[in-house]
Amino acid sequence: MLYNVAAKAVEQTAAQAGAEAGGGSEFIMHHILAQPVIKLPTIWGIDLTITNHIIMMWIASALLISAFTLAFRKKRQVPHGWGNMLESVVVYLRDDIIIPNLGDEGWKYSTYLFTAFFFILVCNLLGLVPGATSATGDIGVTTTLALMTFFIGQYAGIAKHGLLGYFKNFIPSGLPVFILPIMVPVEVMSLLSRHIALAIRLFANMMGGHISILSIMSIIFIFKSWIVAPFPFFLILFSALLEILIALIQAYVFTILSAVFIGLALEEEH
Amino acid sequence: MELLTPEGGTLFWTALTFIALLIILRKVAWHPILHMLEDREHRIKESLDKAEKARIEAEKTLAEQAQIIKTAQKTAQEIIGKSQKSAESIKEDIVKRAHLEADKMLQKAKRDIELSRDKAMEDIQELAVNLSMMATEKLIGRSLDEKDHKVIISESLSKLEDMN
Repeated sequence: MLYNVAAKAVEQTAAQAGAEAGGGSEFIMHHILAQPVIKLPTIWGIDLTITNHIIMMWIASALLISAFTLAFRKKRQVPHGWGNMLESVVVYLRDDIIIPNLGDEGWKYSTYLFTAFFFILVCNLLGLVPGATSATGDIGVTTTLALMTFFIGQYAGIAKHGLLGYFKNFIPSGLPVFILPIMVPVEVMSLLSRHIALAIRLFANMMGGHISILSIMSIIFIFKSWIVAPFPFFLILFSALLEILIALIQAYVFTILSAVFIGLALEEEH
Repeated sequence: MELLTPEGGTLFWTALTFIALLIILRKVAWHPILHMLEDREHRIKESLDKAEKARIEAEKTLAEQAQIIKTAQKTAQEIIGKSQKSAESIKEDIVKRAHLEADKMLQKAKRDIELSRDKAMEDIQELAVNLSMMATEKLIGRSLDEKDHKVIISESLSKLEDMN
């Protein structure tokens, strides 16, 4: 009796898995795309539905806030343990990314870079938790972050050089006037494209990692046999380890590129 | 939900979440951490400065001490030299005085001896006079006037002395 029930359950699961494997890409897309969790109305053309990616973002934020609050709750001259680790990362960001690229005049934008680094890092790493997804694998999230870098950079440029000086930055000096109609759009394009690339780089890296892991996993369902399972298992393990590395690298890359872009906007026109 | 199209809602929620996170973390994390770092860097720099100052001070003190020791040695040398000289002079003084004393004592002894000799001579003279008187009395049978005797004996004695 019990055996029959168990056998039936296994059969059902297998059938379901088989059906999912039938549309392999659908199974993957289901895990990659944002899934609505709480339906909210659309206001001014913006669908305010809360998706799982937004929930993940909130979890990441909560983790960050509690980690920092716990680590630096007591005012001490020298932090211990957890706080020590966080502090060493902050020192690294300050001394090797923010100060070399922004200098003293760009120091007021450091808050953004600190927050961006830790936010992206935690979002990336959360994607590796089974059952969770990474919010940075959503193009909407990375676009928002890239837009922030873009607006901060442009604001910094205008604040420093004035509106006229800011627009002068689009005109490369020392060029014949007749080339300018070509060069000015090129400059504008390069400004826009590097921020678009910033968004797509982070998004594609995170999404690509998940797709590769899910694809390898679906090998089991495509073959419909557990005998092949060890092969994907080790591949997934390897990919997951690689994902940890990529999570760190992408957070670093986004932060340093943001710092460089803001630094470029602050630079004197040449 | 499209893969490559940013959703308006996601943009909105991300911006809201991120800005809220930024404001909260600035208060609980970045400000305290950076303040603490600055404080610590300041303190380390101060301690290093203090240590440097203390080192210079110690070196100065050491040099001063060496100077003091040198002076003390010089003074000690001087004192030893001086006391040696004074001891020398005292010694000479003592020896001189001792010589003087000895001389004085010698003189006194000589005088005493002379006095005793004179006295002894006188005694012997007297004894001799008395003896001769007694002898002559026995020889002559009668006693001369003591005065005469004395005169005679004195004369003979002075003769004896002259013969000497």
